[in-house]
Amino acid sequence: MPAPDPLGFLSDALAGAEEAARALLGQERVRLAVTGLSRAGKTVFLTSLVANLLAAGAGLSTLPALEAAAAGRLRRVRLLPAGVEAVPRFDPEAHLAALAADPPRWPARTEDLSTLALTLELDRRSWLGSVFGARRVTLELLDYPGEWLLDLPMLRQSYAEWSAATLARLRRGARAAAFGPFLAFVDALPAAAPAEDALSRRGFALYREGLRAARDTHGLRLLQPGRFLNPGPRGEAPLMWFFPLPHPEGGGLAELCARRYAAYLADQRSVFLEPFFRRFGRQAVLVDVLAALHQGEEAFDDTAAALAEITAALRYGGSLLDRLTGQGVRRVAFVATKADHVPERQRAALTALLEDLVQAPRERALAAGAETGVHALAAIRCTEDDTAIVDGRPVEAVRGVLLESGRVARVYPGEVPPRRPGPEFWRHGRRFAMPDFQPPRLDPHGAAGVPHLGLDTLLAWLIGDLL
Amino acid sequence: MSAPGTPPPREPRVILEEGEAPPPRSAAPAPRDRETPPAPRLDFGWERAVAQGSAARPRPAGGWSSLGLLGAGAAVLVLGLSALEAANFVAAQFARATWLGVLTLGVAGAGYGLIGAALWREARGLAALRSVDRARAAFARGDHATARAEALRWAAEVPAAQSVLPALRAANDPDSLRAILEAGPLAALEAQAQALGRAAALQAFAVTAISPSAGFDALVFASRGVRLVRQVAALHGLRPGLAGTLALLRRTLLDAATVAATDVAVDTAARALLTNPLLEKIAGEAAAGAVAARRMLRLARAASEACRIVPRR
Ligand SMILES: Nc1nc2c(ncn2[C@@H]2O[C@H](COP(=O)(O)OP(=O)(O)OP(=O)(O)O)[C@@H](O)[C@H]2O)c(=O)[nH]1
Ligand SMILES: [Mg+2]
Repeated sequence: MPAPDPLGFLSDALAGAEEAARALLGQERVRLAVTGLSRAGKTVFLTSLVANLLAAGAGLSTLPALEAAAAGRLRRVRLLPAGVEAVPRFDPEAHLAALAADPPRWPARTEDLSTLALTLELDRRSWLGSVFGARRVTLELLDYPGEWLLDLPMLRQSYAEWSAATLARLRRGARAAAFGPFLAFVDALPAAAPAEDALSRRGFALYREGLRAARDTHGLRLLQPGRFLNPGPRGEAPLMWFFPLPHPEGGGLAELCARRYAAYLADQRSVFLEPFFRRFGRQAVLVDVLAALHQGEEAFDDTAAALAEITAALRYGGSLLDRLTGQGVRRVAFVATKADHVPERQRAALTALLEDLVQAPRERALAAGAETGVHALAAIRCTEDDTAIVDGRPVEAVRGVLLESGRVARVYPGEVPPRRPGPEFWRHGRRFAMPDFQPPRLDPHGAAGVPHLGLDTLLAWLIGDLL
Repeated sequence: MSAPGTPPPREPRVILEEGEAPPPRSAAPAPRDRETPPAPRLDFGWERAVAQGSAARPRPAGGWSSLGLLGAGAAVLVLGLSALEAANFVAAQFARATWLGVLTLGVAGAGYGLIGAALWREARGLAALRSVDRARAAFARGDHATARAEALRWAAEVPAAQSVLPALRAANDPDSLRAILEAGPLAALEAQAQALGRAAALQAFAVTAISPSAGFDALVFASRGVRLVRQVAALHGLRPGLAGTLALLRRTLLDAATVAATDVAVDTAARALLTNPLLEKIAGEAAAGAVAARRMLRLARAASEACRIVPRR
């Protein structure tokens, strides 16, 4: 257990008191932490969430399950006007316009933090409403590069611990191939290597090459540190010139790497992790389950391991101090994204497979007293169900327009197993990548929301009790 | 379900329409065929599907919260039991002497009458606020029928809006309703609210300049502020009682965020007000006064905003 932190306790107590006062006034504020590895679908999810909530607030039935949860009391939804935030603003309009354009464009890889808050105005349940006015629930949202999440578990490790764990991992499985040149380099370094910048930069470059190869050719996920893969708006900085060493305790190069490791973490903590992940009330963990399945056994297990590491490092509350200060996460939804990649009948299997994949994170959230749920959703539905003939037999498939060629295709995603499949399943060893589809025809302003699958059920479960 | 017995094919694949089946690894695009034009995007008819449900949106049934039940129960007990007690007492007085009975009845009647009048006024104040809320919601939804009905009712009550009644009756879409209201009565009301705000600001400035303590300043500011909010509400045809005033104050203060955006206007007004040569002379010593004056102007603006029957776009 980490040592109690008096300042942290004070800020938690203040936050708890503010929350209680806001709840009394009917002005709740809740932060929805959307977590997901890179390409899990966070940016698209947030775009669809904002567009559909705004449309629902304008009286369209884009989110029927959420409206039912609010018992028709949802009166209006607005974007909270910008204040004096230093963080860029998440721009759903731009994303929507790009998705609706001809030819359509999906959001690029997210390279920076951005935030947005929505205010839901609700009628009060009773006549008291005329005295106290409408209730407002403010939903705070954050978009960020998925790679950065993996810096969270590093916060609890010293440089020596991280080095040992990382090197052990690099020597196993597909990583050994991806990191071959890097491993040869560090193994050849003498224990007392001097703190030369030439050495540290060479090591950094080789290590980063390895990370890229592991991500792009092997579909691996548990890749640290996050900014090596996605340097963000500030680009590469000297504090990133470190890498794991077999003798992390020595002087010289080892000491330099340890100092940079600490500086890197301090930086990530202060700009990203502490402001946004220290406190949140609801969480949606987005996982591209199908891609993990299609990328082979090692990638599948690596995704599970990465998610487990991240959730183990997140603060779910549940300790005595957290109870005292009223902190803690109430609901955690595990969400299989891009559910439109499988036909309707297979979505139950997709959910079941996700449930199996996130078993460890789920137990962790449950132990801290949070409610957990497992869902499948398509933030933007791009396909319709159809049948195709494969090997002379009819199978259920999905049909959509391919992004690149603009041609119609049916895609048979394979049979989704309801739990982690045994060795039999992976034997053919061939990896598959689901093609990108064009989004359906959309209104460029998104005034009517966007077609989705299951977004309303998820939101009703996540925030329905606040409405 | 697939045929029993034989497991379904396991390997995923992409099958392009028009028959040709590329090798299974073809996540990559097939060579572009110059002859076939790109297929149209899928269309789920989403706009139509989501528009249907919206017409008949159930309004929530106004329930009673436990706090409300508690208050109502206490009120019934206090009023009902005291009324019974008073009736008993009146009867006893009549038994003693008729003139005593009549006198007691008169006193009791007057007392309960005043309470009743107060309740009636509260109820009317709240009803007026609710009607403004309904109008705003209707404008936001673009619901013409409700917006027009509420606007007509409102205009009938507000002197500044009498002249546009015929135009309102003739308007047949929410946008023209809005335009008529904004160009005519609302602009006038805003100007009047500003004038009220300036008067209050001057007073706040003066009081702050001569007041002995900061606590006293705050007290004066608060009471003058409440009066200002009620004056502005009266301009808009609202005569809020106690609960209504509370509701308005709450709304005014919470809507301060929207007013921050219009601070430019407040600034100009404050500058115009404070460049009065006499004031300028003492303003040096009374920076706090300038702050109070500016706050008063902003309050007038926020209050006027909170009472508008047309929401700002
Ligand atoms: N068919 C379909 N594809 C989706 C959906 N959501 C996301 N995608 C695809 O997944 C890709 C990645 O989605 P993003 O939202 O950009 O992923 P991200 O989690 O923000 O990724 P980073 O910014 O790199 O962390 C998109 O470019 C789409 O091609 C969906 O609901 N349906
Ligand atoms: Mg993104």
